[in-house]
Amino acid sequence: MFAIRSTKRAYLAVASLTVGALTLSALPAQAFSPRSEAGVSATTIKLGITTPLTGSAAPGYNKVPAAMQAYFNYVNDNGGVYGRKIQLTVKDDGYLPTAAVANAKSMSNGVLAYVANLGTADNNAIAKSPVVGLATNRIPSIFINTGYSGFADRSKFPTMYPIFPSYMMEAKIMGQYIKENFAGKKLGLIYQDDDFGSDALAGFKTAGVKFDISIPYASGSQSAATGAGWVGKLKAAGAEVVVMFGVSSATGAALGASAALGYKAQWILGSVGGDATTLKALGVPAAVLTGSIGASFLPGTTDSKDEYIKQFQDINTKYNAGASFDNNVLVAMNSAMLTVEALRAAGKNPTRESLMSAIENKGASFASAAFSPILYSSKSHVGYSGYWFGKYDSSGAMLPDGGTYSLYTTDSGAGGVVKATIKRPAMPAKGLPNNS
Amino acid sequence: MRLLSTFLIGVSSGSIYSLMALALVLVWRSTRVVNFAQAGQAIASTYLGYLVITHTNNYWLALPVAMVAGAVIGALADIALIRPLNRRIKSGPVLEIAPVIATLGLLGLIRSLVGMIWGGDLKQYRAPVSINGFTFGHTTIPFSRFNLLIVFTAIVVMVIFAFVFQRTGLGLALRAAAFQPEIARLAGVRVDLVRTIGWAIAGATGAIAGVLVTPSTSLSPNSLDLLLVLGFVSAVIGGLESLIGAVIGGLILGIGLALILEYVSTSLAFPAAFVVLILILIVKPAGLFGMKRGRDA
Amino acid sequence: MRKSRIKLALELIAIAIALFFLGNSVSDFRVYEGATVALYVIAICSIILLTGYSGQISLGHGALMAVGAYAAVLARYYWHTSGLLSLIIAVLAAALFGLFLGWAAARLRGPYLAGTTLALAVGLPSLANQFHFLGGEQGLNFDIGAPPKFLGSNFSTTKWYFWICSLAALIIFWLVYNLLHSRFGRQWQAMRSAPVSAAISGINIARSKVLAFTISSGVAGLAGALLVMTLNLVTPSAFPLSLSFAIVTGAVLAGITRLGGAVVGALIIVAIPDIADQIAIKAGGVERVSANLPGFITSLLLILTILFAPNGANIGKFMSLRKKKTS
Repeated sequence: MFAIRSTKRAYLAVASLTVGALTLSALPAQAFSPRSEAGVSATTIKLGITTPLTGSAAPGYNKVPAAMQAYFNYVNDNGGVYGRKIQLTVKDDGYLPTAAVANAKSMSNGVLAYVANLGTADNNAIAKSPVVGLATNRIPSIFINTGYSGFADRSKFPTMYPIFPSYMMEAKIMGQYIKENFAGKKLGLIYQDDDFGSDALAGFKTAGVKFDISIPYASGSQSAATGAGWVGKLKAAGAEVVVMFGVSSATGAALGASAALGYKAQWILGSVGGDATTLKALGVPAAVLTGSIGASFLPGTTDSKDEYIKQFQDINTKYNAGASFDNNVLVAMNSAMLTVEALRAAGKNPTRESLMSAIENKGASFASAAFSPILYSSKSHVGYSGYWFGKYDSSGAMLPDGGTYSLYTTDSGAGGVVKATIKRPAMPAKGLPNNS
Repeated sequence: MRLLSTFLIGVSSGSIYSLMALALVLVWRSTRVVNFAQAGQAIASTYLGYLVITHTNNYWLALPVAMVAGAVIGALADIALIRPLNRRIKSGPVLEIAPVIATLGLLGLIRSLVGMIWGGDLKQYRAPVSINGFTFGHTTIPFSRFNLLIVFTAIVVMVIFAFVFQRTGLGLALRAAAFQPEIARLAGVRVDLVRTIGWAIAGATGAIAGVLVTPSTSLSPNSLDLLLVLGFVSAVIGGLESLIGAVIGGLILGIGLALILEYVSTSLAFPAAFVVLILILIVKPAGLFGMKRGRDA
Repeated sequence: MRKSRIKLALELIAIAIALFFLGNSVSDFRVYEGATVALYVIAICSIILLTGYSGQISLGHGALMAVGAYAAVLARYYWHTSGLLSLIIAVLAAALFGLFLGWAAARLRGPYLAGTTLALAVGLPSLANQFHFLGGEQGLNFDIGAPPKFLGSNFSTTKWYFWICSLAALIIFWLVYNLLHSRFGRQWQAMRSAPVSAAISGINIARSKVLAFTISSGVAGLAGALLVMTLNLVTPSAFPLSLSFAIVTGAVLAGITRLGGAVVGALIIVAIPDIADQIAIKAGGVERVSANLPGFITSLLLILTILFAPNGANIGKFMSLRKKKTS
């Protein structure tokens, strides 16, 4: 009955198994010569990304690594970065912080930097983990894929470089936009009941916007049925303008229910859940999306008159076969372009330190598709700082109100929101950075 | 009005939980297996339905194709996995947990295969009928033709089940094979075949649930996970043994969740499902329509 | 049939020494994985105790791990308890929670219990987003402090965690082994294999089941606290449904009644993604295929194990020349 008597043999077996497995798999990790900078060889620069490729958080975000690799391949085919080719190591974390930490740890000695790691909890776990030692080992984690406001705090996250305006900044800007355009209307808000949402609440509060009805939802609970419940509440409260500050699936549920219930309100969608391609895949009828207001820091994905968009679409066709050009792809290519500029600015023989100081000292001048200025400096890790607002047309494309992009910018603190003129650096020829 | 709206929201989501619960109960009744792979079988069938829709743009063709696919996958799962499992494990501490593990394994297997074939992107079905709520005078209620179709389909499936189980030889054989396999065998029932038919019917039912729920959300390898959990909770509420219990369990959960989301808190969806379940099981440990002992040997 | 306590203790000490040298000879990443293996061993022990001995199924042990984890973190975060005390609080809090749950669970059989615990695993972690003091999605820090000075300045934090987790695993192993061979362990087995005769012979079935659930929960709580210790952070997303499934999987791979097999189970669930990753890199190919390969391999292994070695991948048996009697 008891199997425990064979434990001793089991131990022996397990011990030998362990030693065998550990030694075997430990070998390839030591391929680099110890003197050179992690991830940099004579011919290559290695970067790493951990992001969900499987699991329920994967749809949409799983397009990021391939799109980045597509842009890097384009650069590699055109001379690389001072002759070195960029290689992106991709690890799937299924949106689990434990897996993200293990992934980051496994890459920590083999890559120059992490790039575009996704998610608030995952990035926080990687940053806090003494096993990875992001700050103590001075490993850069650049252009991370989250808008949680805390990560721009240099003292807490000294090697982390967020690029998106934080959710707090987005809400602050949206608040100003609402005050200017919808004064006196009854306002509604749907937000995710976690840090994503609390960041937004803080932003709206700073902007001085009060909602007549606020509906929190638990992450992952959204469905057609919950959407109908939200819309019922909004209707009952008589909200005329509704801000949807949530992920795509929640936005889809809200808009779907809005259409089904014949609820006529002016929707304003946050940038996280505002990707038209995803919303259409979620079954949002074009009729309800049309006329909704969206916010973005990048040009519309269909705006092929824009030189950056045209170039990225081109690269997407040639190097990222089969992927539809949506906001995820655009964001990924844009971050990849910034990465190449950061690597060039880090010098002919980039190191982790030179990469970080390049971003701090020269980052504000990097060319990118975004209309927003970049605020990187030796004192600040805040990246983009502005948003423009537009309306979705019947094809789902987001177009600026009145045809011209108008930009609002703000800071990461309690500072005001201002209308700014767009002063975007021209795209380097063929989309190939030539900065130094 | 608010109460009525909430009630209707609950009924339409509840009927989908009911379909999933029906599939789970059917498998449980025929082979004493809680089939976690039901979500996997349904997702594979729904993707095959998606294939039909992209080629023909016809939802009404996708539904039967998905059902047939679901039935075939269900039958295969029983033949290739559950039969050998039952042959190999007849007693011992793993007896109860082995099917759980096996079907969890199958769920993972199907999901990763689906991911390999179709990728992780969201796919979309269009609903075949209007998803706009019915309008009475000036008020639109959160219940559309499509919701009506869902409820109607659930009722049809239920009626067919009731007929098959109560009035046909197959139904008798299914019940006999589930509760007294040895005696059934002696009486000339081909127990293995009958059980496989049970799996096939369950697979088709799960496929219906998948094809019906997808137009309101979207399709990805994980998109039916939540439905599986809620369907299972519904089945447990209903008592696992009873088909009518599955349907009522689904409706109780659907309406209960809708009420909690409407009147208590919009952010308590998951804890609420747990509370509904615990409250019912504290009062009735074997679910509302469950049998006391005897049948669970 | 049981070996003496002293013999087992000596064996465990020998393993501890082996682990000590192992920890010094492999890369820091492998040491980190070693810590993960050790905490999985603890979690799997809790399932073996519960399912393999008392015959109750739990698909929600991830939630109990979360209870332990949050208890430890809150104690440390708000009352600044020491690392050791935090771990003890984790065990007690999870055990207390398990006591309540076990009380409800003792009334439930097989699939009803599976369903309830499953709903718990889905429902509980998301509560952390409801209450501000639990830190939300971003979580709360959990830093048990740097390794003590006398271990030297080169002693890495990773190795410190590895030591703590390994030591905890060895202690739990010893305790659970003795428990399973005590009066309670025999009662549980009697109850599982012959509930009616167990009741006739005077075992209070309900109380015995609740006791098993309580202890199992406490052990799971410790695993949860160690998990967030290695993360330095507690967040609800560290306790997904897949964690609950993973430890049940580990327990089955281990052989659900084979305490010693917990190590095998833990090793396999930690190593599989890694191995699959290596294969995927070697094989190259389309991303959607390589991304799903680890899930595919793990699932396939699970199915093969349950079909062909339902009592666990018994490495001990392979090493042994004499054929084990079937139980």
